Amino acid sequence: MTRAPLPSLISTLKIIQINDISASYDSKSLVLDHVNLSIDRGTNYAIVGPSGSGKSTLLKLMNGMMIPSSGTIKIDYVAPNMKDKKFKKMMHTIGYIPQNLGLVKNITVLENVLIGSLPRLNKIQSFFKRFPEDEITEAKKIIKQVGLSGKEERKSYMLSGGEKRRVAIARAFMQKPTILLADEIVSELDRATAKEIMNLIADAQKRINLTAIMIHHDMKLALEYANRVAVIKGGHKILEIGVEGDTIVDFQTGDMTTEEIMSMYSDDSEK
Amino acid sequence: MTPKNNIIIGVVVALLVAASYNVEANPIEFAEGLPNLGIVLEELLLVEPKHVPVALWAMFETVQMAFIGTAVGIAIALPLSLLAARNLNSKYVYAPIRALLAAIRTFPSILWAILFVIMVGLGPFAGVLAIIMYTVGFVAKLQYEVIETIDADPMDAASSIGVSKWQLIRYVVIPESASHLLGQVLYMFDYNLRQTSILGLVGAGGIGFYIINYIKFFEYGKAAIFMIVVLITVLIVDWTSVKIRDKYIVKSQHGMEVTAKLN
Ligand SMILES: Nc1ncnc2c1ncn2[C@@H]1O[C@H](COP(=O)(O)OP(=O)(O)OP(=O)(O)O)[C@@H](O)[C@H]1O
Ligand SMILES: [Mg+2]
Repeated sequence: MTRAPLPSLISTLKIIQINDISASYDSKSLVLDHVNLSIDRGTNYAIVGPSGSGKSTLLKLMNGMMIPSSGTIKIDYVAPNMKDKKFKKMMHTIGYIPQNLGLVKNITVLENVLIGSLPRLNKIQSFFKRFPEDEITEAKKIIKQVGLSGKEERKSYMLSGGEKRRVAIARAFMQKPTILLADEIVSELDRATAKEIMNLIADAQKRINLTAIMIHHDMKLALEYANRVAVIKGGHKILEIGVEGDTIVDFQTGDMTTEEIMSMYSDDSEK
Repeated sequence: MTPKNNIIIGVVVALLVAASYNVEANPIEFAEGLPNLGIVLEELLLVEPKHVPVALWAMFETVQMAFIGTAVGIAIALPLSLLAARNLNSKYVYAPIRALLAAIRTFPSILWAILFVIMVGLGPFAGVLAIIMYTVGFVAKLQYEVIETIDADPMDAASSIGVSKWQLIRYVVIPESASHLLGQVLYMFDYNLRQTSILGLVGAGGIGFYIINYIKFFEYGKAAIFMIVVLITVLIVDWTSVKIRDKYIVKSQHGMEVTAKLN
C-alpha cells in the first residue's frame, strides 16, 4: 500500500482545526456553510466534491488568502490571515499549489522553483538573483524528482499544461513545507505521472511527517492515498471517512446516502 | 438614423463652424497661401551645401538630448510606477504619487522647457530637463497601468509563500511587466525626438533653435534644409523602432499566444 502510516504517538495532535466556518465572496451567498473539520499532523487528507462546491475556497481559508465570515480556523494554533504578522512568518511552511498554479510566465522553470526558497534567503542577495549554491542544487534535485530535468532553463510559458503543474509542485516542495495544500494537482496528469507525484508526497509524509491536504477530482485516487476523505457539496461537508488499508474505519455522514455518494463519483473514476 | 443622432451631428457641425470662426480659419486664405510654398522650394535650391553639415550636427545634438532625456526619464519613472501601482501599495503611498504624476503631465514639454530656460538658462540642458519631466509623467503612468493589469495569480501564489515585497517585485512584477517596457521605451524615444526638435523654439537647445532663427530672418531655404534633416532622422528612427518591435515584442507576444493554446 502506498499510503504513509500515521505515526501513532503524535496522531492526536491536531495541526488544523476548523470550527463552524462560513465563507462568502460577496457577503450575500455562503460558499461554505458552517463547516467543521480537524486534521491530524502527518495526515493525507483528501477533499473531493463537485465543481463549485467550495473546495478551493476551503484551501484559501487555510492559507490565509481569505478569512472566514464566521467561525474559527487555526493552523498550529494561529488563525490564518495574510495580513497578520504572526501568520506571515509561518506562511513559508505552508506549501500552496493553487488550482491556477500561479507561475510567473516570463522567468525560467528554475527561477519559478527558487521562488519557493525566497523567504529563507538573504533579502539583498535574492534581489539580485544570487542564490546560494545549495539552494540551486536542491532546486535542481526537486526539478528532477518531478520529472522536469533538462527543462530548468526553459521559460515557463513554453511548457505544456502538465509540465507547468509539475513546476508548481516543485516550487511548493522547495518551500520545505510542513503542510501542503494542493488544489487538484494531479487531475490533468496521466495516471502513471499522477501516481509518481502522489508517491513523492507520500514519501515526504513518511520522511518529515508532512501534512497534505489535497483536493482531488478522482475519488479512486483519493481513496488510494488518503488517510481521510471529506466530501464537500454545496458548501457543506456531507461526509468524512477514515481509511486504513482497504477498509473504511470511520464514517461520519451528513445528509446524503452512501448510494448517492457512490453514484456521484462512478463516472469520474472511468476517466 | 435616429432623430437623436441627427441632433448630435447638428450640434457637432454647429460647434465646428463657430470654432472655425473664432480661430479665423478661412479656407480661401489657405488656398491663396499655397503658392508661398513655391517660394520656399525655390529658396531651398539656392542654399549652399555647406549648411548641410551644420544641420546634421544640430540634429545630432537633438538626438543626444532626446536620448538622455528618455533614458533618465525612464530611470526615474520606473521606481515611481512601482509606488503608484494600486495593487502593490497602500492608498497613502499611491495617491500622492499619482497626484504628482498627474500634475507633471498637465504641462506639455514646451512649457517645461520655458520653465527650465528660466531656471538654468538657455541651451540644451534646459531641453533635456524638459524631456525628462515629460517622460517621467508619461512612462510612469503607462507602466503603473501595466503593473495593475498583470495577472493576479502569480502575485497571489508568491505572496502565499511569504516572500517579501521586494522579492515580489523582483520575481513577479518586473518579469511580468517587462515585455511592455521595451515598446514604451521605443515609443517614448520616438516621441521625444520630435518634441526635442521644437524645444529650440524657446531656446532650450536642439535643431529647432536654428529653424526658428532662420524663419525670423526670412531665410526659408535654410530653415527648410534643417526641417528636411529632422524629417529624415525621424523617419529613420521610426523605421528602426518598427524593426526592433517586430523582432522582440511581436515574437514574445507570439510566444504568449502559443502558451494560451496549451492551457
Ligand atoms: N473569486 C471569487 N469571487 C466570487 N465568487 C467566487 C470566487 N471564487 C469562487 N467563487 C464561487 O464560490 C463557489 C465555490 O468556488 P470554489 O472555487 O471553492 O469551488 P471548487 O469546489 O473548488 O470548484 P472546482 O472543482 O470547479 O474547482 C463557486 O460558486 C464559485 O462561483
Ligand atoms: Mg477549485
